[in-house]
Amino acid sequence: MSGPVAGSIDSRPTGSSPPPPATVSVERASKWMGPVVALSDVTFSVGPGVTALLGANGAGKSTLLRIVCGLTPPSQGTVRVLGQDPRTSLAIRRRLGLVAQQENLFEALTGLDLVRLSAGLHDVPTAGEAAVDAVRLVDLDPDDRRPVRTYSKGMRQRIKVAVTLVHQPEVVFLDEPLEGLDPRQRLRMIELFARLGAEGRTVVVSSHVLDEVERFGSNVLVLANGRLVAEGDFRAIRNLMDDRPHRLRVRTDAPTRLGAGLLSDGTVVGVWVESPESLLVDTTTVAAFRRAVVSVAAQSHSRLLEVTALDDDLDSVFRYLVSR
Amino acid sequence: MLLYRLYLRTLVTKARLVSLSAVGLAALGLGLALRFADHPETRADRVYTALITTFGLNLIVPVTALVFASAAFGDPTDDKTMVYLWLTPVPRWRLVASALAASLTIAVPVAVIPLVAAVSIAGSSSRVVMATAVGSAFATVAYTTVFLGLGLRVRRALAWGLAYLLVWELAVARAAKGAAKLSISVYTRSLLARIADHVAPRNGTSLVAALVVPPLVIVVALVLTTRWLARAEVA
Repeated sequence: MSGPVAGSIDSRPTGSSPPPPATVSVERASKWMGPVVALSDVTFSVGPGVTALLGANGAGKSTLLRIVCGLTPPSQGTVRVLGQDPRTSLAIRRRLGLVAQQENLFEALTGLDLVRLSAGLHDVPTAGEAAVDAVRLVDLDPDDRRPVRTYSKGMRQRIKVAVTLVHQPEVVFLDEPLEGLDPRQRLRMIELFARLGAEGRTVVVSSHVLDEVERFGSNVLVLANGRLVAEGDFRAIRNLMDDRPHRLRVRTDAPTRLGAGLLSDGTVVGVWVESPESLLVDTTTVAAFRRAVVSVAAQSHSRLLEVTALDDDLDSVFRYLVSR
Repeated sequence: MLLYRLYLRTLVTKARLVSLSAVGLAALGLGLALRFADHPETRADRVYTALITTFGLNLIVPVTALVFASAAFGDPTDDKTMVYLWLTPVPRWRLVASALAASLTIAVPVAVIPLVAAVSIAGSSSRVVMATAVGSAFATVAYTTVFLGLGLRVRRALAWGLAYLLVWELAVARAAKGAAKLSISVYTRSLLARIADHVAPRNGTSLVAALVVPPLVIVVALVLTTRWLARAEVA
């Protein structure tokens, strides 16, 4: 990954080897649809390997993927894939592939026919053999003669991946490809993405699930409200996310006593009595707080009923990153 | 051929075939009724006005063309499968040509064959039967090309297409001579009248205009559709 972004968090590890040449570069791209700004001044570049595109629903991930595939032009800015404009270059479409988020396919075709069609339209010389290989690659049966309209969501996801990979694209974009897959299939798919990255392909995988992204690889782009708010090494960003103040609700029969005890213990940075049965606490060390709260409750003769994290979702993580 | 076959498979749905076949059967029924129920002296005129012009060129031909052509790009746009076509390295003109070829493969037999058969059943002369075949085929090609672009350009193309047929082709173009020069219906009815040696329609055009303008419309519509497709924003 290369190209630091003004105003965002650049978490690339220092002293690492030079980044590989960029295959996808986006320069100050914005996209608005009427009054709605879907993407705002996004700049980044990625090279071969797996890059995760992380963002909550509505953050602009799909819009960004549509732009880098050429499906829609940016309202402002430039996009290059393998040095070419994906919007106007037909040749580049032989070299890129997209697993779109939408589920609909050509419903009357069988899975194999669908993949064979894609191979044919991409001028794959041995389309039949390539289609069989691609269908097997995603653990589906090439001899299955059922039309895709009968497929489950997981099978649809996998056949979409086969459709995208059958022409061996150098650059692959996948929009929420793990949705609808069971845990075993997720694992297989993540392994497949890693293998494609190791082969030297550029693989950009979008997701709104933080833990899922962790398994894709170390490179990550974080989008929030249409802005690129972080890019670089996932572990550094994850640490940043874990180090931010967390808010928790503690249910107890004596909120004032317990709050005072927690403050004097030093594991919280703020305490508010929310109601006669609960208090809100802010802490930067969640694990230490969880250990301390039990002993503090015992010492202050308070009954500890429940501890709930209030901001452990992606939205709050993004809000934190945006506010920095 | 891959694209052509794909379009054929997606365009032919049971609902479309059943409803348009019913209209075709109605044309055959009308032909039979005219043959056996009408007075021989007035039959020829009634076949021309009621069957060929009103039922054929005003209804079966444009509606059949509209149903299939608007769906060629309208369906993949609506169900978002367009992404699988648009992201291929296939030149845009080939996507358009395949969609047109598939639409015509279905629309011409569905619209033209029942109409020509009905005119024949009604006892028309071979000249009128031939004029019907040429005129309706000509109209089917012109309407199909125009509606192909409409399906790409607007949502609910079927509704917009019907509105265009009712308002422009059947009302405005008949009332205003200037508007008639922008009506596919007027050109094709003029062509049919010349071949059938029948009285020219109201606001009708010359044979040369009837032969030249619709092909020009077809070329312009294909160029525009190709351009729109290349610049389409695909969901």
